[in-house]
Amino acid sequence: MRLTIYIVRRLLFAFLLMVGVSLIIFFLVNAVGDPIELMMAETPGVSAETIERMKVHYGLDQDPLTRYFIWLGKLLSLDFGTSIIYNQPVGSLIATWGWQTFKIQVPAILIALAIAIFVGTTAARRQHSRTDFAVMSGALLGQSLPAFFLGILLILIFSYTFDVLPSYGAYSTRGYLWGSVVADGLWHMVLPVAMLAFFNTATLTLLMRSNMVDVLKLDFIAAARASGIPERRVVYRHALRVAVIPVLTYLGLLVGLMLGTAPVTETVFTWPGLGYLYVTAIHQLDYPIIMGASMVIAAMLIAATTLTDIAYVLIDPRIRLE
Amino acid sequence: MLEPVRSAAASDPLLTVRNLSKSYPVTRSGLLRKKIVGTIDAVKEVSFSVHAGETLSIVGESGCGKTTTARSILNLVAPTSGEIQYQGRDVVKTFATGGREDALALRRQMQYVFQDPYLSLNPRWSVRQILREPLRIHRRGEPATWDDQIEHLLARVGLPASYADRYPHEFSGGQRQRIGIARALAVEPRLLICDEPVSSLDVSVRAQILNLLADLQDDLGLSYLYISHDLGSVRFLSRRVAVMYLGTIVEIGDVDAIFDRPRHHYTAALLSAIPVPDPTRVATAKGVRGEAPSVTERPRGCPFHTRCPAALPVCRDEMPALVPSDPDHKLACHNPR
Ligand SMILES: Nc1ncnc2c1ncn2[C@@H]1O[C@H](COP(=O)(O)OP(=O)(O)OP(=O)(O)O)[C@@H](O)[C@H]1O
Ligand code: SF4
Ligand SMILES: [Mg+2]
Repeated sequence: MRLTIYIVRRLLFAFLLMVGVSLIIFFLVNAVGDPIELMMAETPGVSAETIERMKVHYGLDQDPLTRYFIWLGKLLSLDFGTSIIYNQPVGSLIATWGWQTFKIQVPAILIALAIAIFVGTTAARRQHSRTDFAVMSGALLGQSLPAFFLGILLILIFSYTFDVLPSYGAYSTRGYLWGSVVADGLWHMVLPVAMLAFFNTATLTLLMRSNMVDVLKLDFIAAARASGIPERRVVYRHALRVAVIPVLTYLGLLVGLMLGTAPVTETVFTWPGLGYLYVTAIHQLDYPIIMGASMVIAAMLIAATTLTDIAYVLIDPRIRLE
Repeated sequence: MLEPVRSAAASDPLLTVRNLSKSYPVTRSGLLRKKIVGTIDAVKEVSFSVHAGETLSIVGESGCGKTTTARSILNLVAPTSGEIQYQGRDVVKTFATGGREDALALRRQMQYVFQDPYLSLNPRWSVRQILREPLRIHRRGEPATWDDQIEHLLARVGLPASYADRYPHEFSGGQRQRIGIARALAVEPRLLICDEPVSSLDVSVRAQILNLLADLQDDLGLSYLYISHDLGSVRFLSRRVAVMYLGTIVEIGDVDAIFDRPRHHYTAALLSAIPVPDPTRVATAKGVRGEAPSVTERPRGCPFHTRCPAALPVCRDEMPALVPSDPDHKLACHNPR
């Protein structure tokens, strides 16, 4: 019961947060200046009349507050407007390009999580051993490597030197690998996913290891051992559930981090994702895309943190009653 | 001359510890890895035994090696050297190299009650899950009977059956400690090792837990190895006591005899320290001059000679052996009181 109340409250809070974000995005973009005038400034010879007519066409002649509510109303029916440069509905642009981002980010996180749990736990069980030392140094190195540097390194090795993996795009432009769309798509995913996964694995492994080291020192673990529970079960059934919680919380943060760095990672691989779309839109002042994509990214961040919070409560009975 | 035949079964100890030692490496963080720069003897050549149905207490200042001794018996820390026997079975060897069934059989005999019930119960597990685990591992009856057994265990420690589906954070310290005791009792052990089971509890609930331990001993014929700072509870629960100082036993024997007339100077100092303002800590109180040296800098000779009012020259060079002084009383001192 309290759990239901908590979840409802959390969702309500998320909704309010979204409203706040929409206000900020709308008025921030507005503060940059009138988009029509900004665009036309670079195109000489456009008459004031034409500009006026365009403003009426895009509804820019109304006062900001009215425009905000019109925009919000359309957002609620998932109408993000039409892109100026692509001349397509922004909603479908975001969906297509967003799917490409999702396609590389989610597998990268899942792979990283699986590796981090196993490797971090293994290192923690052998604290101060050679294995532990190797894991720690590898992870620290991985963490300090800039993401784009690793990306370029991967491209150099696997695309240029050995020429076994494609270095850009989501699909081949001429002829799919083995004539199959699926195979070709997966083939293109390898390098971006590898880079993202490597980057996440390093951070998650370090976190997993240090949590596990701490948890294994607690007396309830000694109690489990005193009961004669086999060590594997002690680690994976008794300790893991406790040690993994900060890692899961961190996942919420990580999703945000990944979306934040998506423009960089997608630029390295010329990957047709949301980050790439966003960067191009900013260069070209395609404000329906900028606003729509900002809203979608904010919504994803808020959804990630909300879901993490709820998952956290489901896993940790101590929080449930507060 | 023939020795009189003793009734072997009654007087043979349940648990015998002989020359138990545990040393830890002292490390310094190097540039990349930790370097071992020496060892500390947390426990050094400790010997004692516990008989069926009796309680042996271990007392001593913080850091003198009580927990290390207790945990070594259950292989929660691996002893460096020494012998531990449970009814003639080699405990160290069974845990180190014996089969899993043999180790489990030993664990069914000896169980552990932890000091801090806030740390010794898995925060993510309900009481039922916590109590079911030992039943599962030791295959105590059909799984269908486990819920009944859990109810029975809770009743045994004075908790209602309805608590089974709650989580540790919903309980007070005293209730948690009862759950910890129920978990230990799940496999019907004969020996409970209780490591300061009441020292982290409110003074008001200590007596309840001590009474519970006394009742359980009467009802189930349990033996206890009881570790405590609290000399009052030692007198209440036990007939024999071992006094530890810097990893060694300095005096062991009948509680009343030792408490009324301590022979070792450290024991006397420890006793003169009661009552202490904070009853959880006997601390380095009035009776003792100076600070206890840490185990890293254990003095040569008698470990207590740096603070002893009756130290002789020999005390600085020669470690006194623990030898019988009276019947049922052993002492390690060159110049006893
Ligand atoms: N894992 C370890 N590594 C290094 N030193 C340790 C370790 N565990 C214990 N020690 C040291 O061994 C000594 C004895 O510790 P132990 O916990 O057995 O003392 P104790 O008598 O139980 O003390 P307390 O009354 O505070 O519980 C202490 O000096 C402690 O610092
Ligand atoms: S052996 Fe010496 S120093 Fe140690 S307690 Fe006895 S008299 Fe004191
Ligand atoms: Mg202790």
